[in-house]
Amino acid sequence: MSTLAQTRAMSQRSVLALVRQPALVIPSAVFPLFFAALGTSSFSRAVNIPGFPEVDSFLDFALAGAVVQGILFGSITSATALATDIETGFFDRLLAAPTQRTAILIGRLAGAMAYGFAQTLFFVAVLVPFGLRITTGAVGLMLMAIGGLLTALAVAALMSTMALRTGSSEAVQGSFPLLFVLLFFSSAFFPRETMSGAYRRIADWNPVSHLVEGFRSLTIGEVNATSIAQVVVLPAALAVVTITGALAALAARTRRG
Amino acid sequence: MSSTIAPAWGLALRSLRNIRRLPSAFVPALMMPLVQVIAFSGTFAGITVVQGFPTDRSVNWYLPLAVTMGSSFAGLGTGFAMIRDLQSGFYDRLRMSPAGRRSLLLGPFIAAWARALIAVVLVLIVGVALGARPTSWVAIPSLIAVGLGTATLGTGWGIGLAYRFGDMRAAAIMQLTLFLGLFLTDAQTPIDVMSGWLVPVATVNPLSRVLGLARQGFIDDGASWATTIWGLATLIAVSAATAMFAMAGLRRLDD
Amino acid sequence: MSQSPIFARDLVRVFGSGDSAVRAVDGVDLDVSAGEIFGFLGPNGAGKSTTVRMLTTLLRPTSGTARVAGFDVVTDADAVRRSIGVALQDAAIDPLMTGRELLRLQATLYSIPRTDGERRSGELLERVGLSAAADRRVGTYSGGMRRRLDLALALIGEPSVLFLDEPTTGLDPMSRISLWEEIRRLNADGTTVLLTTQYLEEADQLADRVAIIDHGQIVREGQPDDLKAEVGAPTLFIDVETTLVDTATGVLGTFGELRPTAEGTLGVGLRDGVGAVSAVVRALDEAGVAVSHLEVRAPSLDDVFAEATGYRLEGADTDGATR
Repeated sequence: MSTLAQTRAMSQRSVLALVRQPALVIPSAVFPLFFAALGTSSFSRAVNIPGFPEVDSFLDFALAGAVVQGILFGSITSATALATDIETGFFDRLLAAPTQRTAILIGRLAGAMAYGFAQTLFFVAVLVPFGLRITTGAVGLMLMAIGGLLTALAVAALMSTMALRTGSSEAVQGSFPLLFVLLFFSSAFFPRETMSGAYRRIADWNPVSHLVEGFRSLTIGEVNATSIAQVVVLPAALAVVTITGALAALAARTRRG
Repeated sequence: MSSTIAPAWGLALRSLRNIRRLPSAFVPALMMPLVQVIAFSGTFAGITVVQGFPTDRSVNWYLPLAVTMGSSFAGLGTGFAMIRDLQSGFYDRLRMSPAGRRSLLLGPFIAAWARALIAVVLVLIVGVALGARPTSWVAIPSLIAVGLGTATLGTGWGIGLAYRFGDMRAAAIMQLTLFLGLFLTDAQTPIDVMSGWLVPVATVNPLSRVLGLARQGFIDDGASWATTIWGLATLIAVSAATAMFAMAGLRRLDD
Repeated sequence: MSQSPIFARDLVRVFGSGDSAVRAVDGVDLDVSAGEIFGFLGPNGAGKSTTVRMLTTLLRPTSGTARVAGFDVVTDADAVRRSIGVALQDAAIDPLMTGRELLRLQATLYSIPRTDGERRSGELLERVGLSAAADRRVGTYSGGMRRRLDLALALIGEPSVLFLDEPTTGLDPMSRISLWEEIRRLNADGTTVLLTTQYLEEADQLADRVAIIDHGQIVREGQPDDLKAEVGAPTLFIDVETTLVDTATGVLGTFGELRPTAEGTLGVGLRDGVGAVSAVVRALDEAGVAVSHLEVRAPSLDDVFAEATGYRLEGADTDGATR
């Protein structure tokens, strides 16, 4: 089998796993939507406070945070699956077969990319009936879906590195609080402009802030160099770094095996 | 009566010792409210300028929420421990002993109260460090009442579900339901400030009354007899209901 | 108490309902006398542990009655609990606690006052040889140590009736024998013991009477020797030279039914019992068959078990006399 065919087979396996076990992915989709709905009602009047961007409703503001939150949590799922493969010995069987090493990893990452892409579109589709409006239209939506795909790739590669290094699904799931902190110490749920002190400085530095703000300006602003840099270039650059790390971790593990 | 207290105390002691011996089961439950009070107060710092927000310190609003979350999840923690005991069969040993069924129930409650008080104290320390300032002397007694009360309802709900399912499904259900229950309230903003679908939900949700009690010493002009009585009455009613749910679950184990 | 310490009449336990209902225990009668060691045997899933769970108040019977130490297991469960000690195989011991902490907790659950509980814990640890390990976490104990701690836990309330569920499963032969001695000692002090085991040799060694349960019903009950006698003839095994096998087989056939054996050995179930051995030897001698090895084996409890249930238990001694 060619490397390409192998990669395709591995990708199919990881995508099918998501489709066949909805219980694994539903929480990572439902929670962000729940919080977006909750925020829309709770913070309806917050849109008028100084520093808040110009929006029709809090929902338009909340979409970006929800999308990134869903992708972060969803990426844990696919990395957990990889760690489980290692725990059950399926990974070793793949290594024993004449499979390309990288096909195993790329297969997993492809599953995450598909999930990130689909989830972004799904969130928009669910929220439009509740009044969500995307000012940048179809072009912006497509950019967001690509951004979702790239973000999922970057985060999944990071999580896969952890899975490959530790070989423990528990360790991967244990990273949940870290993602939670990363998300909260950013502008995912409220604008940076309304924060102050040390919290504000952390949010300024947190790449999640810039990522979310890219999605946000595509929702409530316009397509421009900044928003494209934040939604496409930033996650793509992160992905290069994390994939390099994941490949190194893969090489380390196959040497050990 | 002593035949109920002594065994219950023995069981509670075991549970508290396990905090030190199995920290991985306790520390995350303790970190959660601490992270929550920091994250919510920081993220939503700007919300206090909205017309009608009853305090100008966001941490004053979110500290009582974190205490409520932390102590109710301290209660659920005993539910997780119960699942472990049921699955390992250790609980059979307890059920075969002549200890009264009430003491088998009371043990986890005592343990949860102790865990909740730890959570209350730590959240208070972190909250005050972040700038929380009580507006009335009732702040501390109210927080303690809510801490103990929500630990009680969390324990009853948690072990009741553990008895019924006996496996990790119970853990998922108890976390999800309590999480939803606590957020479908005025957790994030006062009912007067919000608008839309959450208004009627938060208004009828009895847990809003509990949060009201927890908050009354931290918001401007918040403390009142009505808030106190409504809050306490709700805590007592819900705790009693979940304790009965747990008792019925324990009886069902024989079936 | 005039009544037997473990008594059951028509005990039934049904799991589920409707078409999927399973009668796990289907009309069990038990009558264990005071001071007896009673062996309760059965294949997995035969209703053995369900019966024990009902007798130890963990599970309510669907119908029928059971009394332990003279108390009804449903209406007087607390009195039953005060009278029994139980070491259940699947009831794990909390690995985070030390042996001493567990015994003290157990003492508390039996409402034994603190100082008495501490003294009694110390005595029991001594008795089962765990004094040195008393303050170590149970997680660090070996299988044998856990079993001994389990026995000590069962004894904290000074029970008159002791339930031991597979007390020696997984133990090495030495630990097993020392546990048997402990059980005999307890029994000699007047404790009635109900023992389940998958080692038939253990039941044979320890039990005054045994009952075999299969498909929820008692299929055999009695003293081990009587049950073995019911199975029938003892088996005579002889080893002969290969060239003489046919002749020897012909001779043996006149004394009873031939039985399958290992290669190179012949076996016959002696119709007229052990007394026929000398006649067999004479007949073989007359036929010119030289016997290099000869052995008579009485039916084992394993034969009884196999005949009653159609199973042979794992871990049972099955070599040679496989039927």
